[in-house]
Amino acid sequence: MAHAANTITRDGQRAELAALSAPAVLFTLAMIAFPVIYTIWLGFHSFSSTGRQSFVGLGNYSKLIADNEFWHGLWVTFALYVLSLALQLVLGIWLALLLFHAKRLPGAVRSLFISPFMMPPVVAGLMWLVILDPSLGAANYILQSVGLPPSDWLASPVWVIPTVALIDTWQWAPYVALIVLGGLQSLPPSVYEAAQIDGASAFKTFTRITLPLLLPTIVTATILRSVDLLRFFDIIYITTQGGPGNASNTLNIYGFRVGFEFFNIGYASALMLTLTAIVFGAVVAFNRLRGAVAW
Amino acid sequence: MSGSAFATRVAVTIVALGAVTTAATAAGFDWKKFQGKTVTFLANNNPVSQALLLYKDDFEKLTGMTLKVDGYQEQQMRQRLVTVMNAHSDEVDVFMTLPSREGEQFAAAGWYGDLTAMTKSETAKDYDTVGLSQALLKAATFGSKLTSMPMNIEGPILYYRTDIFKKCGVEKPATIKDVEAAAQKIKACDGSITPFVSRGLKPAVAYTFSNVLHNIGGSYIASGKSNLCSAKGKEALDTYSGLLRDFGPPGVVNYSFQQISALYRSGRAAMAFESSNELRTVMDGGERLKDTGLTPFPAGEGGQVPTAIGWGMAVSAYSKQPDAAWYFVQWATSPEIQKRMALQGIAPPRPAVANDPEYRKWIDEQPVRKEWQAALDVLATKGSSEVGYPIVANPESREFIGQAVQDLILKQKTVDQACADADKGLDALIAQK
Repeated sequence: MAHAANTITRDGQRAELAALSAPAVLFTLAMIAFPVIYTIWLGFHSFSSTGRQSFVGLGNYSKLIADNEFWHGLWVTFALYVLSLALQLVLGIWLALLLFHAKRLPGAVRSLFISPFMMPPVVAGLMWLVILDPSLGAANYILQSVGLPPSDWLASPVWVIPTVALIDTWQWAPYVALIVLGGLQSLPPSVYEAAQIDGASAFKTFTRITLPLLLPTIVTATILRSVDLLRFFDIIYITTQGGPGNASNTLNIYGFRVGFEFFNIGYASALMLTLTAIVFGAVVAFNRLRGAVAW
Repeated sequence: MSGSAFATRVAVTIVALGAVTTAATAAGFDWKKFQGKTVTFLANNNPVSQALLLYKDDFEKLTGMTLKVDGYQEQQMRQRLVTVMNAHSDEVDVFMTLPSREGEQFAAAGWYGDLTAMTKSETAKDYDTVGLSQALLKAATFGSKLTSMPMNIEGPILYYRTDIFKKCGVEKPATIKDVEAAAQKIKACDGSITPFVSRGLKPAVAYTFSNVLHNIGGSYIASGKSNLCSAKGKEALDTYSGLLRDFGPPGVVNYSFQQISALYRSGRAAMAFESSNELRTVMDGGERLKDTGLTPFPAGEGGQVPTAIGWGMAVSAYSKQPDAAWYFVQWATSPEIQKRMALQGIAPPRPAVANDPEYRKWIDEQPVRKEWQAALDVLATKGSSEVGYPIVANPESREFIGQAVQDLILKQKTVDQACADADKGLDALIAQK
């Protein structure tokens, strides 16, 4: 009798729980699942320039494999990713160490150090577009005033990727620094005291203690920056629109143009789903790495 | 039926329609007919819409309607439009469109409401359909459907520095060869000045390049195939890219109207081939008012065929209140409003407005405005609205043109390679139905 009453109560609780959580579940389905499912559906269709649609199955994906611009976009995406990530991690860790040890640094200066990532990327892109203009910009003026030759910066097919990587690094290295700074502040002081007693040099302390202990934090920063960098769009679109030629035409820029300028939403969806799979794969890989380096 | 015969028939139909319907509908016309309704206008946030929307309150007062403006930069406006139209949504009643760019595409997709029918139903007494540029109306007519009403007329013109020309002993260029010679002379005379600047940014190139191609005597399509590798096509590619490579500013491959106007306004370019719409921006601050001359791009072997286009106002095919939307389009493209916009520096698509005494007085206030109007008169009479390939995939065709020009500016390909690569991609686009 008591068992039956308990079951009824539990069932009632379950029903209540389901009713209470239903709005959240429905909202999540509507806001996350629906767009994803819709994009997958779009990826199986072809849209002509006039918007006419037809089912093509995996046609968009086989087209993608034969599309040179896709492979070029993939290469550009990875080149930009590797270069930007490396620069941001190195500079971010350095900046974090600087902020950690310079305890007397005034709050305003600390805020200034970490302020670039608070700027909207569109504003940052426009600002750098003006600074790096080969004719009117301040960058070449500075180079020439110290006797160096001017550069074409974003207008050079050779320099455009390093230049975009530098802009992104200017904006996001402070963000990495902030994450790493949090990690540094949580490291146990006892390990450093032991190292000091053992007479370890500053370099050895950094390479043998600080860096290994910071690895989980660095991997977290890497995951966060990887997701952003692989789907990097705004600054490139503002500064080069994928040019000169197609030198900075990342997958994201390419997909955007195919979808919104040439109106082939189906093929653009296939491109973006491929990019999503790459981002997802990178996150899974880095998450495993984080598990491996946890302490 | 030949293309020109068909075009004549369309133009005659439009003129006749305008004359008949004006007489037929003016008597019972009531601006307050749709009082209380709200019309949503998807606008490109450019000088044309900015000048128009200064008088938004007047429209609301005149009609009793509410005008909801959804304004974006050009690219973002198109993204929004694509989303709205693909969803067959009635969120947008009226939108701005460039018939020379997307006209074929939007018409084929069925996104434009038929204005031919609307001009039959409700036209105010003073709305002079016949007075609108027939060339622009023709450019906005697809099949037998009038898809948008012209808001302005514009096209690339040559801005040149009279003081630098004088200093370097250069005459106003009369031919394309003269432009090259002038640039050469200026380069030798004053190394601190950029001799020539025009659009080098890939998607933007077609706007200025088309003028050069047509002046040289080239065409985009011949016998159903892309024609960039014809002798004239190659000459146009070579001439345009050569001017930018040898006499343009560093980084010209990223130049569109913003950079060109900034460079010229700052006094660092001797010649700028840029939109007539940029006059106000270029003259901002007043430094270039006294030392600027304006002319359509000089003639080549094919004569002088300037590019002349205009923004249009279209009623969405999915609008649930196309008649109320038409009232807004009609008001915005009426002689009175276009005269007011003209006084803001928006070139009117109505010859009658261009001859209006008040407008003429404004033009006569400054010599540079006189030259601007003279150049626009040439655009209006001789202009071609062909910017890029006259196909449904026109926006995509501009990519190939831009890529070929950039390949040459950056010396990544020879003319033969660049045009062959472009023609290959363009032939595929032309073949698309």
